[in-house]
Amino acid sequence: MKRILAQARKELAQVRRDRLVLFLALVLPQILLALFGTALSLTVTDVPIVIQDLDQTALSRAYSDAWRQTLTFRVVELGSDSQPIDALDRGDARAAIIIPENFERDAIRGVPAEIQILVDATDANTANVLRGNAFGVTANFARSQRSGAAPAIRPETRLWYNPGRDSKRFVGPGAFAVMFALFPPLLAALALSREGEQKTILQVYASSISAHEYLIGKTVAFWLVAVAQWMIGVAVLRFMFGIWFVADPTPLLVGTVAYLFCCVAFGVMVGAAIPNQAAAIQLVQIVGFLLSFLLSGLIFPISNIPAALRWIALFVPARYYIELSRDAFVRGAGWPAMWHVPIVLSVIGLVFFAVAWKRMRRMQVSA
Amino acid sequence: MRAMLDRLVGGRLVPLFIKELTQLGRNRRLVVMLIVPPTLQLLLFGFALNPEVTGLKLAVVDESRTPESRQLVSAFGESGSFLIPAQYPSSEQAGDAIARGDADAALIIPSDYAERRIRGETASIQLLLDATNANTASIAGGYAARIIESLNRNLAAQRPRAARPLSLTTTVTLLYNPGLQNSWFITTGMIGTLLVLVGSLVASGSLVKEKETGTIEQLLMTPASATEIIVAKMLPLLILLTADIVIALSVARAVFAVPVRGSLVLFATAGMLCVFAGIGIGTFVATFTKSQQQAQLMAFFVNPPVALLSGVVTPIEAMPEWIRPFTLINPVRHFATISRGVLLKGVGIDILYPNVLALLAAAVLLVGISAWRFRKQFG
Repeated sequence: MKRILAQARKELAQVRRDRLVLFLALVLPQILLALFGTALSLTVTDVPIVIQDLDQTALSRAYSDAWRQTLTFRVVELGSDSQPIDALDRGDARAAIIIPENFERDAIRGVPAEIQILVDATDANTANVLRGNAFGVTANFARSQRSGAAPAIRPETRLWYNPGRDSKRFVGPGAFAVMFALFPPLLAALALSREGEQKTILQVYASSISAHEYLIGKTVAFWLVAVAQWMIGVAVLRFMFGIWFVADPTPLLVGTVAYLFCCVAFGVMVGAAIPNQAAAIQLVQIVGFLLSFLLSGLIFPISNIPAALRWIALFVPARYYIELSRDAFVRGAGWPAMWHVPIVLSVIGLVFFAVAWKRMRRMQVSA
Repeated sequence: MRAMLDRLVGGRLVPLFIKELTQLGRNRRLVVMLIVPPTLQLLLFGFALNPEVTGLKLAVVDESRTPESRQLVSAFGESGSFLIPAQYPSSEQAGDAIARGDADAALIIPSDYAERRIRGETASIQLLLDATNANTASIAGGYAARIIESLNRNLAAQRPRAARPLSLTTTVTLLYNPGLQNSWFITTGMIGTLLVLVGSLVASGSLVKEKETGTIEQLLMTPASATEIIVAKMLPLLILLTADIVIALSVARAVFAVPVRGSLVLFATAGMLCVFAGIGIGTFVATFTKSQQQAQLMAFFVNPPVALLSGVVTPIEAMPEWIRPFTLINPVRHFATISRGVLLKGVGIDILYPNVLALLAAAVLLVGISAWRFRKQFG
């Protein structure tokens, strides 16, 4: 026990002295959290569109105004000599609405007046949202023009948990989880592979400390660093994104203990296996971070990933922690929905730690 | 002019260039690094980032239990957008299902639904959407609105014309990517991110290695100038990384069937400029660092903003207003516009020239600054 604490204290002293590492530990995660939370959004606003009005009647102008009143779209002028398709080609507009000739006459007579909408589908998701919006704008307009045309069925839509459809509430807790899949393992891996690279590991072998004491000491030290990161991260969520616990925070707290252990244990495993700092950084970056970024449901649901890749997500710790943090900060279902997360995370963490231990034990014998 | 050319070709540049090229050629790890991670990343991004919203689980609470309400439920079921795994007896239970994540949305039909429909009054129904994921909620809401609207239309057709909405129909044509393949969007932009990231990694790696082993001093002792050394270092990298452009495009074509509708020359030029920008960033970072791992850690400060503020993964229109101007100085943003323009839209230089110029400016600036830093440090 004494040796574990000594190891942990030595590790923390080392972190404190290295300015670059200290910056990586406490400041950079928060900068990235802020950047991710701000830049990773799918809710488009102010999308430029052009309207070509071939009818030029009161009704067609009223229809154009219906588009101008939406928040999603911004109508830009179409030059008199250019075609709508040119605006899309140039990227000046993302969609073009073409109101046909005789629009007013047909609409009033009851002959279906066909409005053509061209959507730049380069960005598939935005195109899908635009298509839905285009449909809604037109249907509402068609109804608003006839006072007697009350619909037979009217849906009253309630958006639960995030009524403003603020994507920060979705991405913020997600980015929060992904940050811990990058920085704590990075620091832990660096510390362990440095010992291997600079051969100070031989002194460890020569000393009376055993493999598990050495590993636990390092794990405890970087777990404490991770807890400090976590607390600052919660403050960033609170003050930058206005996100705070919506219900009982205990599932998140318990899950955090397990998740941070899991992340640090991953770094310890990488560092113990690779006595080369540059290679260790790359491995943490690619495996730890890339997989957490892509296969955790941070941006799009995991269920959309092809099955051949989806199984990998089962072993990505961030995927479980994202569910947990979204529940704690947005949804608030609490223990009944989340009880399994701390268990799964602990198991994955213990596996990482066991691999590191196996590796270390062998080195000790062979050295 | 001739004298300048002589100085360039006849001077020390060529031997230095050959030295760098042989050094790179002998480095097996580097060759692997140039091929494997970019290919893997392109595949991962292309496959994993899929925004499709299908199979939404809808919890149905039918308090009306009439032919009218069943017609509504089956309209949702038949749309293909919603799955109805179970009916729930009360709205509380449906709400719990959403909280547990067992359902993405709930449809609640009140008990007076059929009555109001028969009397010709507007019948309200409740639609609850889990908006934790704002994007999915928007799309799901759109799907539901469409289903109800088409029902409304059919019902309105039985009424006198004055009580019908205006007959407007919309035909939506999806241009450039009619199958709404998100992989086309991601991979066309991701190529630029990869070129910049790999370029900067390789450039800083090769320079820092000389610093670490002290061979940079030996190079500086030769009659070659600092400029010649740095140019000779960059050129072979450029040639090597050009291979990455070919590999990336081949993967995008072979795996995701990304079309090539415009000029490949323009695409390759943009790719080379991206590589240049990457080499510039890498060299710049290398002048600040003493060791390989320091250079890699420094890259953590540069890479994320370059990758994120580019419109590659998420659209720029979804970023907050104040952050959008910053994307204009990002070479990857311009590459993405050019790449999507050439490959998907099939437009040419006449439309893309502002982006080409911006990319050129970024590349020249980054290489210039890094060469200046290098000369200041060693010249």
